[in-house]
Amino acid sequence: MEAEADKPSHLAVIVDLSPTQWYLSAQASNPYPLSIESFLSQILAFLNAHIATKNENTLAVFGAFPGKSVMLYASTETLVDEPPPLDANSYPPFKMVDTTVTQRIFRELDTIDPGDEPPCALVGALTKALCYINRITLPSISTSVAEGSTNVPDPRILILSVSPDLSSSYIPIMNAIFSAQKLKVTIDVCKIYGPDTVFLQQAAHLTNGSYIFLERRDALLQYLIMSFLPPPSVRKVLAVPRQDKIDFRAACFCHKNIVDIGFVCSVCLSIFCQPVPVCSTCRTKFPIKALQRLKSACPSPAPATPRPLANLNNAVPRTTEATNHGTPGLR
Amino acid sequence: MDVDSDSDISLFGDEDPRAKGKGKGKASERPRKGKAKRKAKEQAYTWEASYTRSWDTVQEDETGSLQGSVEDLMARGRRRRLLAPASAIRRTIIRHLVLILDLSNSMMDRDFRPTRFDLALRYAREFVAEWFDQNPLGQIGVVGMRSGLGERVGEMSGNPQDVLRSLSDRAKLEPAGEPSLQNAIEMARGNMSHLPTQSSREILIIYGSLTTCDPGNIHETLEVCVKSRIRISIIALAAEMKICRELSDKTGGKFGVAMNEGHFKDLLFELVPPPVQQATIRNAGSGSGNPPADLMMMGFPTRLPDTSTPSLCACHSDMKSEGFLCPRCMAKVCDVPTDCDICGLMIVSSPHLARSYHHLFPVKPYEAVASLDDTSQSASACHACARPFPAAPSSGVVTEGISPLGRYRCPDCHHDFCTECDVFVHDVVHCCPGCGK
Ligand SMILES: [Zn+2]
Ligand SMILES: [Zn+2]
Ligand SMILES: [Zn+2]
Ligand SMILES: [Zn+2]
Ligand SMILES: [Zn+2]
Ligand SMILES: [Zn+2]
Repeated sequence: MEAEADKPSHLAVIVDLSPTQWYLSAQASNPYPLSIESFLSQILAFLNAHIATKNENTLAVFGAFPGKSVMLYASTETLVDEPPPLDANSYPPFKMVDTTVTQRIFRELDTIDPGDEPPCALVGALTKALCYINRITLPSISTSVAEGSTNVPDPRILILSVSPDLSSSYIPIMNAIFSAQKLKVTIDVCKIYGPDTVFLQQAAHLTNGSYIFLERRDALLQYLIMSFLPPPSVRKVLAVPRQDKIDFRAACFCHKNIVDIGFVCSVCLSIFCQPVPVCSTCRTKFPIKALQRLKSACPSPAPATPRPLANLNNAVPRTTEATNHGTPGLR
Repeated sequence: MDVDSDSDISLFGDEDPRAKGKGKGKASERPRKGKAKRKAKEQAYTWEASYTRSWDTVQEDETGSLQGSVEDLMARGRRRRLLAPASAIRRTIIRHLVLILDLSNSMMDRDFRPTRFDLALRYAREFVAEWFDQNPLGQIGVVGMRSGLGERVGEMSGNPQDVLRSLSDRAKLEPAGEPSLQNAIEMARGNMSHLPTQSSREILIIYGSLTTCDPGNIHETLEVCVKSRIRISIIALAAEMKICRELSDKTGGKFGVAMNEGHFKDLLFELVPPPVQQATIRNAGSGSGNPPADLMMMGFPTRLPDTSTPSLCACHSDMKSEGFLCPRCMAKVCDVPTDCDICGLMIVSSPHLARSYHHLFPVKPYEAVASLDDTSQSASACHACARPFPAAPSSGVVTEGISPLGRYRCPDCHHDFCTECDVFVHDVVHCCPGCGK
């Protein structure tokens, strides 16, 4: 065993397959429209590249469909009924990945009820990816420990997201992040369509992954290969783009709003967007006095004006505003 | 391994019977330890046996396989989960702890390897790191007992680095003289007297001696601690002392005697998770900490990367790039959690709060599937990790809580999961892969 970079890696890719979001993404009014067909062909090229990088590399693909998550491909499992026929022009492992993933995606998409669309089951896909990683990294009882420890691949997860934050999944996503930390799994996020998601930013930050907002969507494959193909141990030398600012906002428990100032129960740490008399989680009653005090201190919608600088003991010119625009990542 | 309930030294077994819910699950594990401990007593020195200890816990069956014992361990874990209350329990989240370390001569004993002192110091560091992980809003202070005095080793701090720094210099903490419980407890009490009422006050003593040399009556100190609702937990490295047992019993803390290195660590780490609030269980008179609840206003900041334009921070007036922006006044502070130096808002990073949420919304325990008769359409592989289920039920003794088919079913989404995923979902992820919540 030489360097850490020599270890095989396990990549779990979570593909967000919300029909609505992909329809919107393909609209010609977007700066760089990206259709699901073009997305799939680029993603398959990326998956093939991962398998080709090292013989021992393993792969798992999970799909987040509306209200349901499905394992689309896993190196250890055969998920299609009949293996694809051999073809002289294609490398069998590539062919296997391509046909399994596309077949299963189209089978799932066909069963989707066009009527109403529940939000995508990203949390389910994420926890399944973690369970699968737990399964392959756990030294199983049957195999000897010595054998298991050397061949365990470095696990990481790549989330390809198109849906906005689902604030009701705040707690399960945070729980998934903490278990990823425990398993030493890096979570990378590529935001392909839609606004930045606060929770996935935190996921990437807390697991030392990269969060990349895809600006040039016509260059998806290049982003994928340059930023997400090298395993984390190699990225140190590559200067992979890292995220700029991280938003540490949370979702309130009462309305699932994403808040930057919240009211927190001192007993159970539940977050509320406004002062409440009783904690809905642990049924603690709060003293009336505290409520009145907080109601009066409640942040007005307009940003509070900072106190004049002269009042500060060590009056220094504040340059907070200047920090608001991030500089390009030069180090 | 059978249950020997007549273990001569019970650790927490004779706890107040009214302390329901908390003791139950743990109590089932106690007898095992009691046995291991008695074994230890038969040997003169712990270090003589330290290499054989690990075999005590796992035993082979007739065929030489470990499978049985492993399953037994898992069954135990499952049963413990089933016993745990399903509804949200109140836990103390804002904790204040003073760690009192025995720095007397008796800590140089070598019955724990390399010495009691070195081991206690190492475990104390691990304890502090883990404690802050699970109690992000807590604070720890460190007090030493040396030469008959209480010595302030580390001030109350919410920053794990500060606390670890105070424990890092071994030379400064070199043991000497006699310990004084009273002096140390009085000093710890002084450290915590200013604290707001909604926080818990706890003292954890790692005690290696069998004597204490006090200037006054320690029972008076005990009375004051009960009154000010300070909970005292003690881990003794030598043997049980009546006063130690009394201190922890009367204040609602825990008491244990560490029998070997692993047991010492177990006892210590049992004190890491936030304690269940005992308001509903015990009467106020018994002195357990039950601070009144409050609603706190908190801000969740934006973190600036180390590539942003450097600016002065509001806390130290240092020029630096990285930092956190207060969401109310946009001032830049160096570290969270903190109170904003400009507007006074308490700034915390929301992931810190989120670490405790799995206590609030535990995943429902899965049901062990006994037979497949009830469902004609059952999946052939685990819903989470796609591991195929065994086709035929395993022969052998059916243990309570263990499915012979290796299937565990979620009561909500009715998907089947394998044994490993059942354990992983309930102990680590805290989120059912089928329900997604
Ligand atoms: Zn709300
Ligand atoms: Zn609460
Ligand atoms: Zn500062
Ligand atoms: Zn502020
Ligand atoms: Zn499984
Ligand atoms: Zn479920």
